Amino acid sequence: MKKYFGKILLVVVPVIAAIVLLYPTYQASKLEEKEAQAIAKAKKASNSTDSLAIIEVFQKQYGEALKTAKARRLKLGLDLRGGMYVTMEVDVVKLIEETAQSETIDEIFKDVIAKTRKEAVKSDEAALNIFLRNFNNIARPQGKSLLNYFDVGDLRDASEEKIIASLNESIDKAIDQAQEVIRQRIDQYGVSEPNIQKQGSRRIMLELPGVTNQDEMRSLLQTTARLEFKLVRNYKEIVQAFYKIDKMLSNKIKAGKGLIEEPIVELDTLTTDTLVAEQPKTKQDTTKTDTTKAKNDTANNPYAGLPPEEAQRRYALDHPFTTLFSTFFVPGQNQNIVPIYYTSDQFPDGEYIFRIPKDSIPKLQVLLSRPDVAALIPADLEISVDAKPDTRLKQRQNIEIFDFYALKKEPELTGEVISNARASFDPTTNQPVVLMSMNSDGAESWARITGANLKKRIAIVLDGRVYSAPTVQSKITGGNSQITGMANTEEAHLLEIVLNAGALKAPVQIIEERVVGPSLGEDSIRSGLNASLIAVILVVLYMMMYYGLSGALADFAVILNVSLILSVLAALGGTLTLPGIAGIILTIGMAVDANVLIFERIREELNNGRSIRSAIDEGYRKALSAIIDSNVTTFFTGAILYFLGTGPIQGFALTLMIGILGTLFTGIIVTRAIIEIFMAKGATSFDFGQPKIKQNN
Amino acid sequence: MRFFKNPNINFLKYRKLFVSLSITLIIACVIITIIEGIEYGIDFAGGTEVAISTSKPIPTDKIRSAVTKSGLTGVEIKSFGEENQFLIRTVESANAPELISNALTQAFPNEKITILKVDKIGPKIGSELRAQAFWAVFLAVLVMLIYLAFRFEFIFGVGAIVALVHDVILTFTIAVTLNNLGIVNLEVNLSILAAMLTVVGYSVNDTVIIFDRIRENKERHKGMNFIKLANLSINETLSRTVNTVSTTLLALLSLFIFGGPVLQGFAFIMIIGIILGTYSSVYIASAFVIWYMEKVKKIDLESGFREVIGAKAE
Repeated sequence: MKKYFGKILLVVVPVIAAIVLLYPTYQASKLEEKEAQAIAKAKKASNSTDSLAIIEVFQKQYGEALKTAKARRLKLGLDLRGGMYVTMEVDVVKLIEETAQSETIDEIFKDVIAKTRKEAVKSDEAALNIFLRNFNNIARPQGKSLLNYFDVGDLRDASEEKIIASLNESIDKAIDQAQEVIRQRIDQYGVSEPNIQKQGSRRIMLELPGVTNQDEMRSLLQTTARLEFKLVRNYKEIVQAFYKIDKMLSNKIKAGKGLIEEPIVELDTLTTDTLVAEQPKTKQDTTKTDTTKAKNDTANNPYAGLPPEEAQRRYALDHPFTTLFSTFFVPGQNQNIVPIYYTSDQFPDGEYIFRIPKDSIPKLQVLLSRPDVAALIPADLEISVDAKPDTRLKQRQNIEIFDFYALKKEPELTGEVISNARASFDPTTNQPVVLMSMNSDGAESWARITGANLKKRIAIVLDGRVYSAPTVQSKITGGNSQITGMANTEEAHLLEIVLNAGALKAPVQIIEERVVGPSLGEDSIRSGLNASLIAVILVVLYMMMYYGLSGALADFAVILNVSLILSVLAALGGTLTLPGIAGIILTIGMAVDANVLIFERIREELNNGRSIRSAIDEGYRKALSAIIDSNVTTFFTGAILYFLGTGPIQGFALTLMIGILGTLFTGIIVTRAIIEIFMAKGATSFDFGQPKIKQNN
Repeated sequence: MRFFKNPNINFLKYRKLFVSLSITLIIACVIITIIEGIEYGIDFAGGTEVAISTSKPIPTDKIRSAVTKSGLTGVEIKSFGEENQFLIRTVESANAPELISNALTQAFPNEKITILKVDKIGPKIGSELRAQAFWAVFLAVLVMLIYLAFRFEFIFGVGAIVALVHDVILTFTIAVTLNNLGIVNLEVNLSILAAMLTVVGYSVNDTVIIFDRIRENKERHKGMNFIKLANLSINETLSRTVNTVSTTLLALLSLFIFGGPVLQGFAFIMIIGIILGTYSSVYIASAFVIWYMEKVKKIDLESGFREVIGAKAE
């Protein structure tokens, strides 16, 4: 037996691997059923806070498990689950039109643009080239040059080449901007498991499962972004407003109006102490953090004398709003920040910082949208959350903490004034910086704004989310600013993209759009699965009928092969699409073929009078070259399809390629191992469906 | 179980007849394709296509007149799988799905109209995909030629490619012709492309298996004339061919019958392709190599052919 241990492993290991890799798929579907039940229950609940509480119970119990299972499960393509598939492309013509200085645009220019647009729809030629050709044909004879329409900044070395180079650069950058804006919007819209990918240098491909409201989605995708500079007003007045919100909400809860038994958030999910201890440096490089344990030492502590847990519970009950996040006070430059508790309505004058864990953001937003809460926020202020979690905390502890800000509603400046932004390094400190320049109008306002708000923070807001909130160090005249304090180059690069989104509208257009309704998805998955099942059953029966026991063995190999394809697909994070199912069916055909080749050979050798052992050896040996040749050629087809094709074709090619590797493994190695194990038990014959011949040993 | 006991069929005896038949068929189908044109699906042609279902079957004419009233131009309507499902196609229009849905709700107030899917493809994407498809097929063929030339004698590689080109052209033109005749709904779209590429793989697979046997038998029966060698090899692999083709066809037939409208076109092309691929391995690939040896290399293959076969058949 020991001798065959390796062979047993060859059979058992892939079976276990398939089970392990496919289990999350099974688990995820079970948990999703439970989630659907919880959501149904939540929908029946009388108010939004209650429904949040129900969903939170589910999240607490199964959230993590569902998240892990979802990440590892086999994903279904849009054709099988319904949703929207969109390809977007930079609208180069529009970009050229918008880059031109609006006051210089005349009939001649409009003519060129109109003609270019008409040609670009059909032509494969780059739109910029079409534009230049039309410009030469139409505008140049009328005495116009590109310099008449485009601003190049420094007039001394202005040239047409420079304009063309800068247009090219804008086109190249546009797709990154559009992608960032779209990613953020899709996130906020609440699409589950969206897939957003850059295709080549001009296109974005989006897969949005479950989205059926095409109109809404289309306008969401095609609206250009809004970049604004807003003053940060994290001062005493907003903290006092938060205090009032706490009071109002806790009174309502105590009066039975909120109808929630437990506090929305348990205090221990938000241990401010660890936050402080683990974060020596905040985004504002000028602030230092308190590293000692800050205890609640407010003079009139109403929870004094209570055991710590009870104190926390009571505190959370009294502060349903402010326990969602942590509040810190910034006593001044180069001083430690201090955690603030809302135990009394006395707050020091100065600046504050608010930090919120990712999971609490939806709750914060729900509460802020309540009319009774909104009424307590000062009318000229709004609350905006960071676009991304704090990079340093995420790297160090893998927790996602977001800053949020009270911003002055009225923007100080909008993004059109930015002429260019570029990520770079500070030559003295070697830290990443972003250099931003503005046009003359912008520079003038910018000098006034920065002059009036020295040592204050100005938030850079794109589509309502804060990307950075740097502190103004000095009055900036001349329009050239330098933003520091980024955690790494990626963060700097993101800020560059965001700032350029203000300079340039990054217009994108939808060039391909596919919507699969959920009912068709259901239909096609049902008929696809049924057809595959019937196909498998027919093949299994045929093989057993013709080749007897070894036919059953081949069937086992084929089924193992299909499970392995699905497992590998799940492990690689691939998606199963309808063409993918077709690829699997083809694999079944190829896998059966491999075994047919082997068994036919073995039968031939048996006919030639060989013993069963040597017939098996010879059969496998001789069939190998044909199997390899045929599978390699098919693999080539798969590889070419994978690299040349897009979307659905790639899905087909991927399953085909995995399937061929699986065929070589299961069809040759696994079946052989099983036959050897049988033979090891002293069998003198093996059923290959051959006519029964008495063997003399 | 066993279908053939030591089969000894002279497959190659009628090779000239079959080659002529293939050539005639290709010419006929290519001419029909050129005259009738290729009907591209939405993937390659561009435009907007909306699939809808109604709660009860409605005659296509009534749907057409209702949709035409909405002001959409170039409207085409086809049934889609079931009796109450329709594909409505128009030239590029931003809000075609809404227009169609409104028009139908107005015309048939008692019916529940559901939009099953919407495809909008810009004209540029369509032509790009066409080019992509062409290159995919071309490259696949080229890579195979190189591989086969390495693995076998060069002329065998060419033989396999000739058979492959035969299969691809015939499968494609037969599909286009059947579609033009209105027998099946087989517009040229992405899933048809996937099927065509699978046919490429399968066709070569089948040829390779026979060639592999010829290569082996050449070593074993040194000095045997080539036609006999090829015939022997085809016979020896016959039961493999039958079993593999049967299982694959079983799988494809169940896809065709039960797979729903999306898989049907794919399965149909594969069925044609697999039958052709099996046939061409014998009558095109092997026949080509024989032709090359006889006519180009001037090797006398016929003499002694009958008596050797006769001796074995005895």
